[in-house]
Amino acid sequence: MGARTAVVNPQPALAIKLGKLELAYPTLMGSGCYGSGEEFAPFADLSKIGAIVLKSVTRLPRLGNPTPRLVHTPAGMLNAIGLQNPGIEWYLEHELHKYGGRPCKIVGSVAGFEIDDYAYVCERLAARDEIEAIELNVSCPNVAREGETFGCDPDLTARVVEAARATTNKTLIVKLSPNVTDIVAIARQAENSGADALAVINTVRGMAIDVETWRPRLGNITGGLSGPAIRPIAVLAVYEIAQAVSIPIVGQGGIETLTDALEFFLAGATAISIGTANFTDPRIPERLVAELQAYLTRRNVGSIQEIVSRAHVEIATAHQYEGDEG
Amino acid sequence: MIGMTMLDLRPRVAATTILERRELADGVVLLTLHAPEVADATQPGQYLMAIPPSGEAAATALAVYEAEGKRASILFFVTGKRTRELASLACGDRLDVVGPLGNGFDCSGDARDVAIVAGGVGIASVWLCARELLRRGAHVRLFYGARTAELLVDAQRFADAGCELVLATNDGTRGERGFVTDALARSRKPETIYACGPSPMLRRIGEIANGFGVRAQLSLEETFGCGVGGCWGCVVPLTNASAQAPKFPPAQRGGSDVVYARICKEGPVFWAHELRW
Repeated sequence: MGARTAVVNPQPALAIKLGKLELAYPTLMGSGCYGSGEEFAPFADLSKIGAIVLKSVTRLPRLGNPTPRLVHTPAGMLNAIGLQNPGIEWYLEHELHKYGGRPCKIVGSVAGFEIDDYAYVCERLAARDEIEAIELNVSCPNVAREGETFGCDPDLTARVVEAARATTNKTLIVKLSPNVTDIVAIARQAENSGADALAVINTVRGMAIDVETWRPRLGNITGGLSGPAIRPIAVLAVYEIAQAVSIPIVGQGGIETLTDALEFFLAGATAISIGTANFTDPRIPERLVAELQAYLTRRNVGSIQEIVSRAHVEIATAHQYEGDEG
Repeated sequence: MIGMTMLDLRPRVAATTILERRELADGVVLLTLHAPEVADATQPGQYLMAIPPSGEAAATALAVYEAEGKRASILFFVTGKRTRELASLACGDRLDVVGPLGNGFDCSGDARDVAIVAGGVGIASVWLCARELLRRGAHVRLFYGARTAELLVDAQRFADAGCELVLATNDGTRGERGFVTDALARSRKPETIYACGPSPMLRRIGEIANGFGVRAQLSLEETFGCGVGGCWGCVVPLTNASAQAPKFPPAQRGGSDVVYARICKEGPVFWAHELRW
């Protein structure tokens, strides 16, 4: 009994890597959902999360969308914030220095409307020591006929990623849109163009209408749906992309509980991102890490990496049996 | 913050227990919580986020109604799934909250004759404000409006505390028939105005205050996302010149001097004359 106990790792490793980015925990806080982290610091232990992905920044300042910007919907919410941000110059001068010295890693997020914008903002942001990696937001659904164009077109995605890649050696994460016919093709293009990791998925386009006023409930008319309502869509996207690429995936879309998180790892995610769940309870990220530890210990699994893509193995095994019997 | 203070007012996650549950009218619920840290730190006009016990929806932003000793209370109308869940809680149940949050009313001026205007559940935001103004020796007129008499909850409580009441109901079942803002517009000019209620009412109060040539502090209502300033979902257009405006460069579109401020973080209380809504 004693010998057996000694073999079991009492603290299964939750550390993971996304390209060069090394994280103590496989949890990222989704862009636009967690501010810069300082907003949540009074309620959440930032030393128990892997990384914060900052709100997207653009080349020029953006006012953001008209109000209302949020609507609660069944099992989720619609948002249309519209990339409100002060623009990269102001951001670098007045904001970013405050984000250094956090007990977790900081990932910058870049959005844009021209390929040059992405390259310019990416280069400026990645040059700063506070920033350990860059997420390319090619998939914001709330900037009319502009931003999502990139993430919905494999060739444009490739050009954005190539342009950004040329500006930095830091880890480049490309955040993909689910609002496409073939997300796998876009994932492949992103990988071939130099992405180090993929964030799967951004919000799903949606709409809600007020039946008393007969008007859309969002100032922007349309929005992006997040929360548990989109989780199965996201799990499938991770599952299919994991079969097509060899770079790590950050799975995201309505993760609230241990079960939700495990689904994404089993589908092929190396890490998970938590967004809307922070609006329910800011203690969820810390709780998830503790529960992941306990789960791996209970299942006698040495590290989180051992269960990544495990559903693919189980499916392959099942098919093998069918073939044998047939 | 409109008011300044040196106390440690850092918000926190607090595990509270429900001490009392009262239904003040059909669908109007008062929950009194054992919440010493929240009660200690709460300033008039602040709010908290109630974490849903089921974990099945976003947290709900609720004004802190009373804060006294070890007790804080929340008063709300049951309007949907999330408030229905809160209304189903019983004495002894646990309710986790985040708070107190936001920048509340500045009650520090030396105004002697003030008007407080509350519409519907907006009454929950102004009790601490009224009490503080009374304590400072001000004469407080409470203009309180609701759809119908039954929904003018706790009006007597404000009167007992020393407020002069001006009531109005849409159906005329108590006080004047119509909007309480009409009563305000016809009344003696106050030195300053405090208000909480639906947006159309607050807009009207801004106009009335402007007509009187006095300042008004408005506590705004909006759908919140995170409730702590992280998502920029609950915003209102504010002049860049406001001390509460987020420090952004002047907007690029059409030379606008307007910036969207977060109701949860920079607010929920704003100066009426600084709003551009």
